[in-house]
Amino acid sequence: MNATLGTAFVAIGLSASVAGLLSVAWGLATRSPVFVVRARGWVALLAVAAVGQVAVMERALITRDFTVAFVAEHGSHRTPALFNVATLWSALEGSILLWVLILVGYVVLVVRRFRHRLDDPVVGWTLLVLFVVCTFFFLLLAGPAFPFTRFEPWAGYDGPGPNPLLQNHVLMAFHPPVLYLGYVGFTVPFALAVASLVTGRLGEGWLLEARRWTLMAWGCLTVGILLGAWWSYEVLGWGGYWAWDPVENASFLPWLTGTAYLHSVMVQERLGMLRVWNLSLLCATFSLTILGTFITRSGVLESVHAFTESGIGPMLLGFFGLVVVTTVGLIAWRGDSMRTVGSIDSPVSRTAAFLVNNLLFGAFAFVVLLGTVFPLLVEAANGDRISVGNPYFERMTMPIGFALLFLMAVAPALPWGGTTGATMAGRLRWPAVAGAASMVLALGLGSRGWAPTLAVGLAGFSIGGAVRQLGMTVRSRGLRGLVGRSSGGMIVHIGVAVVAVAFACSSAFIRQAEFRFDQPGERAVFAGHELVFEGLTTVELSEKTEIRVSVRVDGRTYLPAISTFPFGSQTIGTPATRSTLRDDLQLAVLAVPDERSNTTIVRVTVQPLVAWLWVGGAVMALGTAFAAVPTTGGRRRRGADETVEGSPEGVTV
Amino acid sequence: MNPIRMTALAVGLVLGLLILVFATRDTSRDRMTTHLVGAVAPAVVGVTLDGSEWDLDDQRGRWVVVNFFSTTCVPCIREHPELVAFAAAHAEADDVRLVTVAFDDSPSAVAAFFARNGGDWPVLTVDTGRVAVDWGVIGVPESYLVTPSGHVAAKVIGGVEMDELDGLLTRAMAAIS
Repeated sequence: MNATLGTAFVAIGLSASVAGLLSVAWGLATRSPVFVVRARGWVALLAVAAVGQVAVMERALITRDFTVAFVAEHGSHRTPALFNVATLWSALEGSILLWVLILVGYVVLVVRRFRHRLDDPVVGWTLLVLFVVCTFFFLLLAGPAFPFTRFEPWAGYDGPGPNPLLQNHVLMAFHPPVLYLGYVGFTVPFALAVASLVTGRLGEGWLLEARRWTLMAWGCLTVGILLGAWWSYEVLGWGGYWAWDPVENASFLPWLTGTAYLHSVMVQERLGMLRVWNLSLLCATFSLTILGTFITRSGVLESVHAFTESGIGPMLLGFFGLVVVTTVGLIAWRGDSMRTVGSIDSPVSRTAAFLVNNLLFGAFAFVVLLGTVFPLLVEAANGDRISVGNPYFERMTMPIGFALLFLMAVAPALPWGGTTGATMAGRLRWPAVAGAASMVLALGLGSRGWAPTLAVGLAGFSIGGAVRQLGMTVRSRGLRGLVGRSSGGMIVHIGVAVVAVAFACSSAFIRQAEFRFDQPGERAVFAGHELVFEGLTTVELSEKTEIRVSVRVDGRTYLPAISTFPFGSQTIGTPATRSTLRDDLQLAVLAVPDERSNTTIVRVTVQPLVAWLWVGGAVMALGTAFAAVPTTGGRRRRGADETVEGSPEGVTV
Repeated sequence: MNPIRMTALAVGLVLGLLILVFATRDTSRDRMTTHLVGAVAPAVVGVTLDGSEWDLDDQRGRWVVVNFFSTTCVPCIREHPELVAFAAAHAEADDVRLVTVAFDDSPSAVAAFFARNGGDWPVLTVDTGRVAVDWGVIGVPESYLVTPSGHVAAKVIGGVEMDELDGLLTRAMAAIS
């Protein structure tokens, strides 16, 4: 019954998207807004379908309805309840269901937000683009990613359960939905950008809308990426959290262009410049989410966490082509008429700093994209198979990272117009002192090598700069000044600097060793910690068999384990981590005794400051939330088109 | 031409080329199919469900389909009727034989599976891990077509269909003669 019901919901969803698309298109073509307004009904139907199909699939997963092939292939009686729900996004078809649910959720929010302005052509075009995207994803569900294929299980059939790696940590239940909230969220600013390009209405009110939707998506993407890093750190046990894997890069690329947009949009608000550039950034961000999805799900690049392949690749590539042709065409066609005259007064001004910021983020995105697709380009050129590894990414992105940290310290102190050296010296004095002090502190604590020390110094510099800005705001407006976009932005800066320090130090000062133990009671000393091997215990759980290795470190017992899942004979490790603000100690079991040897091998990883990655991420999320709260300037319920087009007057904070 | 239009078109051109590259790439799945193809088939030796010895080398002079499978893998279950049909279609001519290597599975489960779903070709169940490693099996189901001279002619990852196997066989026969 679930399969039938699910199929019905997919059909309803596809029909509603096509009907909505046609209705809005007809309304726009004949200039009859009533057809656009009517789209509300189709959106409601879309919502019913999107919620319905996910509910049906979750019901099938929870009740282990193996007549649905997706459940038979990925569900199991042995999977614990939480992971049973999360099984939805552990495989291709279910992940598209989640995608569609979030996409339709955003469409509902858009319709709600613009409910009084549905007859405005900008809203009409926005809805049209959203319906096109919805139609595409429902086509995926109806075609190559159809989730409700039937299966005939025999009596006593039990499925294999989701990939063991995905049912080993609670973060798996949260990382994909949050990541998708960000990823899919970029659809709305993209739709607004296309609508602006088509109608030629670039009033700064629309800009504010696009910025707000982007900020929301960006915040979720930030948290989603960091949750993913945290998950891989806790689950994989190799002491790392970021590997420049194509799938990771796919989520990082839109983050980079989205970040560039959030900065350059301020130039447009203030001076009316860079309009076409900003729209291009929004289009690029959305295109990169589609390209990233193609890379992740088509099997065109080999990756550790790519999905199983299916016929979804060509359709995604085709859609990417459509997006590129549409946006490039629109920008080429409309771009020139939207240009604004304006120039940068001074090379030492905040405007100039934003331009440099955009150049750096653009370069960063280019470097990551090139590194991701380079193996394919080389193979296309001469048939060689190469892989681009960490050294490329580290070498290429490190200077950009340093430059961005520096800019993060200096730019907030720069005025919009020109400035003098003396003014800047005054403004940057305390941040510079903070930077120098943090470098001295780092050296005192044992930092060696120029790169991590410089990273700490620059991070101290930019935290100093951000704190100075926050301090001035609080002094003039009290604690309430902390809420709002500029203060929120400064808080995000602090989070970024914290993440940068954690990243630099944890990767530069990682210490790792493997120890072999034969008998309980054997001891080893590593990085100032004493390890005592206490023995093994075997625990049988419903979904897996765990061999726990008991190791006493500094008087506390840790139980890293190796788990064997009965189906698929996969063996995966469950590391044990002791996390403090100073450093992390992680134990991972590499081998347990078997017929051939009696040796247990344990890998010990000691890394400083890892916990600060997650702290920094939380600070970034907090800052984003603060930045999303409208300040008094924005709260004046501006009509979207209130600002006269071409007016350099924007919303000031 | 104005600079924005030129830049947009240039970016579009570059992205178009990128799409072209993507569109003409084999997926990694296709690339994997080339791994053993053309090489001498690794050994397949073992004990079948009825307890007799089976060796791929004894099949020289015949076409053989080597199928890796497990009773707990859904694509394997789905492809099974296709294999049964393929075996039945070729039973009379006896121009191709089928052997299944059960991967990481219990003999009783495999025997029950074949009793329930049909299929009377040899099935190896004991100590098949080594065979799977030699063949570079990444995940079941995988199927290989072995020529009469004992070379691998084709590799299929994922469930097979009868028509697909017949197509491979016809093409490989044509290529050899």
